[in-house]
Amino acid sequence: MRISIQHLTKIFPSRTKGGEAVHAVEDMNIEIPSGQLVGLLGPSGCGKSTTLFMLSGLESPTSGKILFDDQDVTTLAAEKRGIGLVFQNYALYPHMTVEQNIRFPLDNMRIKKEEGNARALDAARLVQIEDLMSRKPNELSGGQQQRVAIARALVKMPNVLLLDEPLSNLDARLRLQTREEIKRIQRTTGITTVFVTHDQEEAMSICDTMVVMKLGVVQQIGAPQDIYDDPNNLFVANFLGTPPINIFKGYTEGGKVYIGGEAVAEAPASCGYENREVYVGIRPEGFIYDAEGAFTLRVDHIEVMGRDKSVVSVHECSTKPTVRSIIDSDVMLPPDAETLRFNIKPYKLFLFDAETEERLR
Amino acid sequence: MMEEKETVATLAETPKERNKPGLGARFKREKAPAGGDGLTPEGPTLSRGERFRRGLRSQSGWLFVTPALILMAVFTFYPIIAAFVGSFQQQYNGMTGTFNGWGFDNFIRVLKGDTGTGGANFVQCLVNTLLLTFVSVPLSTLLALLISVALNSIKRVQKLYQTVFFLPYLTNALAMGAVFATFFKIIGTPNNTDTVGIVNIVLGWFGIKPIDWVGLQSPHWQLGKLNIPWAKYIVTIIYEVWSGLPFKILILFSAMQSINKQYYDAAKVDGASRWTVLWHITAPMIMPQISYLLVTGIMGGMKQYSAIVGLFGETMGMNYDMGTMVGYLYNYIGLGQTGYAYAGSLILFVIIMIITWINNLITKKRTTY
Repeated sequence: MRISIQHLTKIFPSRTKGGEAVHAVEDMNIEIPSGQLVGLLGPSGCGKSTTLFMLSGLESPTSGKILFDDQDVTTLAAEKRGIGLVFQNYALYPHMTVEQNIRFPLDNMRIKKEEGNARALDAARLVQIEDLMSRKPNELSGGQQQRVAIARALVKMPNVLLLDEPLSNLDARLRLQTREEIKRIQRTTGITTVFVTHDQEEAMSICDTMVVMKLGVVQQIGAPQDIYDDPNNLFVANFLGTPPINIFKGYTEGGKVYIGGEAVAEAPASCGYENREVYVGIRPEGFIYDAEGAFTLRVDHIEVMGRDKSVVSVHECSTKPTVRSIIDSDVMLPPDAETLRFNIKPYKLFLFDAETEERLR
Repeated sequence: MMEEKETVATLAETPKERNKPGLGARFKREKAPAGGDGLTPEGPTLSRGERFRRGLRSQSGWLFVTPALILMAVFTFYPIIAAFVGSFQQQYNGMTGTFNGWGFDNFIRVLKGDTGTGGANFVQCLVNTLLLTFVSVPLSTLLALLISVALNSIKRVQKLYQTVFFLPYLTNALAMGAVFATFFKIIGTPNNTDTVGIVNIVLGWFGIKPIDWVGLQSPHWQLGKLNIPWAKYIVTIIYEVWSGLPFKILILFSAMQSINKQYYDAAKVDGASRWTVLWHITAPMIMPQISYLLVTGIMGGMKQYSAIVGLFGETMGMNYDMGTMVGYLYNYIGLGQTGYAYAGSLILFVIIMIITWINNLITKKRTTY
């Protein structure tokens, strides 16, 4: 099912008299093609969960429209939208067995017992919990509960599957496993899926399309790699990538980008931004060690990862305490060097306006 | 009593535990007894005084429970034992303290209703009590559940309603019973010209002739020796339900408020109707509270008395036809026939025990998840 979000806005009135109303989501416009896995990504309080609940029908928007295919569902009740929703804490009914939990939506649809059983079993098989059908939720691990919640959402064959922070309650190892699982289930079923996360790695790893949000405003929409390689503004550049991007205060002069007096790169030819202050973002993997390089960093220490090593250094123009650059482990660095020089890969360097923090291309 | 003993045991053990070598002992060095050095508390050389002090401390738990033990012995254990013994003393004379041999005579006469005193009939009282309890307690719990759900779903004047529903709880049972009686009363003889209570006035609007709900002409059915005063039953049940509501609403409402809202969101997405939500989500989630109310309600119902007196006066209706089990006991104590009262109380005790046991069996099954 195709989802179209048009000028969606949600304003929560303030709790206290005279207080300020909270603009949870502002003028959101997204087109989600059918069968895609979409991640809503942003720090907490950015309105991503609110968006999800508006899609589910549990919250009603202040203004704007939501369309499933060409049907306007903005005012349609949650149960009539044909969605499956997985809650952050799963919200499994503790007094029902796994089977009863999965069957619950079917029972409400008054589906016959035999058919209901068969469908419940199918859904359980899909998430590989068919052996646990007679257990109660509190006898399951977090990962198993998560699967039950997904099975319960899938059993009514929804047009849209919505997941609220699906991995946040799992431990690190299970998280890796489960996100692949979600991807697999989404592929098998082909259901248009929207999920919410604050973990950029999680979003990057499984999304077809990623929506980066900040304070209720969409910052950028696109494929994960595209957003990573071509961020719209400083926030997006900063939010994506582990380790995070290095940000320096710099300026442009004579067609070159300067950081602390060193010309590290060519300024984008087309931009015509001469002689102005900029933020320079350089991805950690954008550094090439070169004894004659253009950019000098004072080394603090070197962390060896095995596959690569990361040089942790300091620079007076950096906006963060340390600068991290990742170098291939087969590049030999001079031992005990106090400073190292690097060349910068031009496509790993981004310029942002010092005032608006918008990208200068 | 078992609980008491356990508490004593744990209290007594605490000082000994502190002397075991371990983290506790090491960190509590400064608190260690003066005799030892604190580091080697298991050391063999303890002074006599220290050993005495420790011995005393290990027994000090007893000291703390002694006042309670004495009070319970005087006011609980002695009466229980005395009642037990007394119930087997035939034809006990309160004036002389003499009795005519041991046996089951009291029990047989109580159950047969052959007491020869004109007092209440035991079987009548038992039937009344069971009937009233097993109708009014489930009914008021169900009503409380529905009211709590309604209360939970309104936002604006919730606090006001909460207060209104709780008010009866603060009112005395006798006073409420008396007020209820006036609602249902007919003053004078029951013919159409007499002054009638508000209930009969309202019934009159629907063309129903006044019924003497609580008085001497109250309608009833006769089942062999047994009297079924249905009009009085209705009044009593209405009263019991109404007076039982506040506490039940309080418990159920607060239990409902602690249910995570996400369950309701999930149910909504899953397309559950309000009815389904109530019976498949809300009710099971507050099952511990519901069963608590049923158990305590039934126990309380088995011991009801003051409400009956409030409604029907000291004679509990006509010839004790609204008598209850506890009413029976008071009746026979009042008549100086303590032997029958003792026997009746033992039977009541056994019945309550059986009901509680059944209750436990059911609720254990239903509330564990």
